[in-house]
Amino acid sequence: MRDPANQPVEAPEYPPELARLPPGRHGLPREFVAHNQRERLIAGLAEAVAENGYAGTTIAHITRHAAVSRRTFYEHFASKDECFIAAYDTVMAELSRRVGEAFEQEDEWPQAARAGIAAMLEFLAAEPHLARLSMVEALVAGPVVVERYDAAIQSLVPYFQAGRDGRPEEVLAGLSPTTEEALVGGMVSLISRRIFADRAEELESLLPDLVEFTLTPYLGSTEAAKVARQG
Amino acid sequence: MGYNSTTRPLPGRQQLPREFIARHQRARIFAALAEEASEQGYRAVTVADVVKRAGIARNTFYENFSSKEECFLATQEFAMSTALERVVEAAGAFDEWPQRVRAGLGAFLGFVVDEPALARTCMVEALAAGPAAVRYYEESQQAFVSLFKLGRDVSPQGPDLPETLEEALIGGVFWILYQRLASSQLEEISELLPELTEFALTPYLGPEGAHQVAAL
Repeated sequence: MRDPANQPVEAPEYPPELARLPPGRHGLPREFVAHNQRERLIAGLAEAVAENGYAGTTIAHITRHAAVSRRTFYEHFASKDECFIAAYDTVMAELSRRVGEAFEQEDEWPQAARAGIAAMLEFLAAEPHLARLSMVEALVAGPVVVERYDAAIQSLVPYFQAGRDGRPEEVLAGLSPTTEEALVGGMVSLISRRIFADRAEELESLLPDLVEFTLTPYLGSTEAAKVARQG
Repeated sequence: MGYNSTTRPLPGRQQLPREFIARHQRARIFAALAEEASEQGYRAVTVADVVKRAGIARNTFYENFSSKEECFLATQEFAMSTALERVVEAAGAFDEWPQRVRAGLGAFLGFVVDEPALARTCMVEALAAGPAAVRYYEESQQAFVSLFKLGRDVSPQGPDLPETLEEALIGGVFWILYQRLASSQLEEISELLPELTEFALTPYLGPEGAHQVAAL
């Protein structure tokens, strides 16, 4: 399926900011160790926030994790908030690249949607610190980040809207304009609740439920349950 | 009448029962905090802002709450229990589960439209107000989950429905309302009842059954 969010798909290489983070379950390639100070600061923030929460994180925590001076921090960022925004954007860019790529690898929409959801769960489960940063800490990090968070979630809507293509008239008549928004909101609330409760390891087991939930409006419950139990 | 912080204290309040005054004061503080948080965001609000808006003495605030955080949690709880009361009462007027869901959703939308500042507090600002507030937000959604779960008894697919369905449905409804509240599109909210009803009932009743109830 063509990625409806229409992002250019690039070589599967980790952005250096993320590559410096401690390896998750799947292990991050060590050879991508960042040299760039800005990247080290972003990675340092992610580590510091994982340890102390957003509110409890100080610039001293960040510079200690990044092994750079306080002065270097202020050469790159005016504040903790600004550094957090850079980290948030980096994580979300990586997440959306992975979702888009997984979605595009399937020809049929139901399988493409399933692959996109699976890619999201896999990334968040493998990187619990980044999952927390992007789905929990982002909400306490001030209005600028909250706005980005809302936009990131709404950017998933087109993947489900693609499910309308080629559906019979009576199915389309039953779909309200807010269907996709509600599906995305429901999906994200299941995911973020587990991350909030430090149960990121449960995320991948949500796949069948989430697939069935999001495909049912388009395919009906029987067909949606079938796709949910594939793989 | 809304919980408006501009409602002046009644004259001669010294003669009113102590308990009445205390409750009235707390309601004014809740309303003031909710309005301030709606306008400037929770983090920016100070106790001084709340005191000023509520028209009370600083001491009075601290007789009721030890901090802004404690006041926020109490406001959130007050807002959520107000909403839940309205939902339960509206749903209780019907015997059939699908109608109960529709009436409950309608009452919830009514709460959001009548009390936008309180609704914002418990659905938008709560997410920015620290771990205890987020935890309460998550737990309060569970109250709605159990109301929805009863639908499994009337659904032909009841036993086969995914375990997490209710959590996802309520998360979806909350997300839609959160988006409208965050961008202050209040007029739109009251028009959402048919589509939210349909969204919530479809997994249990199928598209046609859900549509019939939603179109009532």
